[in-house]
Amino acid sequence: MAGICVVAHALDGTLGRSSLELVGAARALDAGLGLGMAAALLGHGSHLAEATDVLQHHGVTAIYRVDHPLLTAGQTDAALAALESIFQRAAPQVVLVSADTVGRELAPRLAHRMAAALVTEAVELGVEDGVITARRQVYGGRAIATLVVTKRPAVLSVKPRALDVPEPKPATATIEDVAVAIDAGALPTRVREVLREQADVGLEDAQIVIGGGRGMGGPDGFKLLEELAALLDGAVGASRPPADAGWVPISWQIGQTGKTIRPALYIAVGISGATQHIAGASGARTIVAINHDPEAPIFSMAHLGIAGDYREVVPALIAKVKELKGR
Amino acid sequence: MDIIVCLKQVVDPELPVRDFAIDPSTKRQVRDGRPLVISTYDENALEVALQLKDAGGARVTALTLGPQSALGDAVRLALAMGADEAVVVDDPRGPDLLGIEKVGILAAAVRRVGRFDLVLCGCESADWVERAVPPLLAEAIGAACVTFATRVEAADGGLLVRRMADDGFHQVEARLPAVVAIASDEGNRPRLPKVKDIVAAKRKPVQTWPVGDLGVPSVGEGALGVEVREVVVPQRTARCEFVEGEPAEQASALLRRLQDLKLL
Amino acid sequence: MAVQISDEHRMIQATVREFAARELLPIAADLDHNPRFPADAIARAAAMGLMGLMVPEEYGGPGLDPLAYVITQEELARASAGFQAIVTVNNSLVCDPILRWGSEDQKRRYLPDLVAGRRLGCYCLTEPTAGSDAMALRMTAALRGDEWVLNGTKLFVTNGVEADLCVVYARSEAAAGARGLSAFLVEKSFPGLRVGKVEKKLGIRCSSTAELVFEDCRVPADNLLGERAAGGKIALATLDGGRIGIAAQALGIARACLEESAVYAQQREQFGAPVASFQAIRWALADMATRLEAARQLTYRAAVLRGEGRPHAREAAMAKLAASETAMFAAHKAVQIFGGYGYSQDYPVERYFRDAKITEIYEGTSEIQRLVIARHVLGRR
Repeated sequence: MAGICVVAHALDGTLGRSSLELVGAARALDAGLGLGMAAALLGHGSHLAEATDVLQHHGVTAIYRVDHPLLTAGQTDAALAALESIFQRAAPQVVLVSADTVGRELAPRLAHRMAAALVTEAVELGVEDGVITARRQVYGGRAIATLVVTKRPAVLSVKPRALDVPEPKPATATIEDVAVAIDAGALPTRVREVLREQADVGLEDAQIVIGGGRGMGGPDGFKLLEELAALLDGAVGASRPPADAGWVPISWQIGQTGKTIRPALYIAVGISGATQHIAGASGARTIVAINHDPEAPIFSMAHLGIAGDYREVVPALIAKVKELKGR
Repeated sequence: MDIIVCLKQVVDPELPVRDFAIDPSTKRQVRDGRPLVISTYDENALEVALQLKDAGGARVTALTLGPQSALGDAVRLALAMGADEAVVVDDPRGPDLLGIEKVGILAAAVRRVGRFDLVLCGCESADWVERAVPPLLAEAIGAACVTFATRVEAADGGLLVRRMADDGFHQVEARLPAVVAIASDEGNRPRLPKVKDIVAAKRKPVQTWPVGDLGVPSVGEGALGVEVREVVVPQRTARCEFVEGEPAEQASALLRRLQDLKLL
Repeated sequence: MAVQISDEHRMIQATVREFAARELLPIAADLDHNPRFPADAIARAAAMGLMGLMVPEEYGGPGLDPLAYVITQEELARASAGFQAIVTVNNSLVCDPILRWGSEDQKRRYLPDLVAGRRLGCYCLTEPTAGSDAMALRMTAALRGDEWVLNGTKLFVTNGVEADLCVVYARSEAAAGARGLSAFLVEKSFPGLRVGKVEKKLGIRCSSTAELVFEDCRVPADNLLGERAAGGKIALATLDGGRIGIAAQALGIARACLEESAVYAQQREQFGAPVASFQAIRWALADMATRLEAARQLTYRAAVLRGEGRPHAREAAMAKLAASETAMFAAHKAVQIFGGYGYSQDYPVERYFRDAKITEIYEGTSEIQRLVIARHVLGRR
């Protein structure tokens, strides 16, 4: 019996990075709690074997596995049914879920069904005197709340990319294949179609990110940012207004409802610093803000700032970078 | 279709930094004297409801939980935008409750409204950002659940929902009743109310229900299982260093600084 | 006592501010640099109810009070004074007199269309030889059977190019001065009316200003507005309302100057410090803010009096005088604070500077406002 259970899934085909982030968190919690850990692994077909290997490679020693044709992208209700079956057997005390597309629906619903304590969107988990603590961003990243989990069972969801993928720690797991009967006709939701967007710009992994905001004024301004990003081997992102307005693909959106980035350098251009954006960008190690309004909140989180018109500043930067590269 | 839209009134999330403060006794943001707005995505949810109403007819009820005495414009604005009626669950602690504390109250209020096929919420509140209420509410009232939806249309007696996913979108079929949490999209940008409708909004029905009347036992802290120990505003380690001069000088100076920091 | 605005006023203000942010701010500079009638934005303004704000619900409007009207006009003018000029003429100078003096039939025929943006209105008073001395106008109106026949030329008609409905003042009686005038509702399509010279202007360039030429223009007798020979009274009372609208326009321009200057002064560094740290700049900002608030209170007060049906000619004149001179003052300061950039079309303050000037001129120059006020001071009309 394992007290800490990680919800790992390969619904999108492969085991996602966020599942491994949870394994890292579970390993750390287990060190403090000594409850033992396991993974519930959901998916379908050949990918499951591969995912099983990856979990073992990262130190998971017990795996409850459900292979079902309905366990594919976005099928929250099938995943919920599978997890209920697993938890009836495993009776975990702490369940870790990644707050990804499926996980942000799953975690509260699991908590409700298990009458469990719930913390969502944690960015840090810890143990103090045998009690779990969780930190999460509140007020759009302007403040950090520390929550103490005083009850078991507890369901904790973790913001994707908030935690690092742990070092490998090869182990051999006991694997239990759990048979789950899911009545497709009884599920209240069903994914009819998965629409994937064009290949990602690598926003989440880029070491340099240049983001544009409402101040770009339209899609044309982003061409300048793309030119600068190409020179710096960086990626281009955006705050919510340009994504909402259709100036850039939604997949470029950085922020609470978009992607979380943790680059070495983030250059925010024409971004006022709406809290919802800051929540996704505050992980950057160095932030440079370029904005015409010196009172813009973005400057309160930036390390370096230029108060000025990006139409003048960015071309100047492009010219100087070209000069540097030419030498 | 009968639609309930849950609206939360929050302190304007774009409040200047200098006006942002945490009350150490409540461990929540100080609201006194701060401008209140409808939480960002809740307005998008209302817009989706109104579009469904425009498309096929619907009765839209705006539901909010909070201190009636400090309600501000949320309800009036929702009615001006086109909601047919509003329900205020008067609870002084409403805005500060965690999702697991408030879901019972919301579920009771939804049941008391009675008719509903669809409950729409914002995908997250601008203040506590738990993203927990919609799925919790779906469980509590036995409804289907889709979150981070950008578009919703009625189809085959149910819904067809476009949900934001990590790598694109999912087209999700959902049965009714359903709770759908709305994310922003160019197609659900909140409409501006007509001036005439702002004036007319005061004639639309607003019911106020004291929270005590809903008969929901309050959740004790132990039963809740989660305690907020502290809420802190991170101290900024460094003030922003402004790079001065004409654009060309600023560009050179910035690149020099970034090279010094070994970032280029 | 300071005028307090209600929750409803605040919500209307926030709504119109958002409308201006969405629909006007992105195009305001271009509308000025490449002058054209903003038909799409006007249509959206009409859909919001902004083209006939004080028209009651029974004629399709929202039925706001003059204070709410002033609040909305400041917001529109903050983004684009030219756009607001189009709107304020339709509201104050066309809808308003029809509402006050129009027959039931005229109200039903014209107000819903003016509110909905299906028709645009203009106001025809000034003539080549009758500007400030408006009551000396020479256009003639002769009753022939069941038609009035109008002859003459009107000048500086805001919306003159696009308008479908003109409020026209003409001399219908032998009596000299105001007592000889009547007001008419003239549809642009009536025979004998054409648009003459279109002005190229210093400011408010997206609103057209045109000459309208009436050559045996035939107007049905039904389209006499108000009583025969009441035109002088109608013109002057209408201008009291119009002046409040222009005062609000001036408030919007002055606020734009103040807000843009405050941002720029903190961003612009000279001698190693933001120029906002220099006392000369601080004083300018303080003076702008103080005069703006004073002018706003005068304007609000005039609007409240008008809303209560109390005499307000004096207050309207004071509001327009104070607000327009504040706008010019603020624009002058703003260009100076921006320095060389203030003179450049890359920044908006030169537009404010050009837009501000008209507020001291139209619907009664500052000199005329002073005469009106002085008459009240001296106790004789």
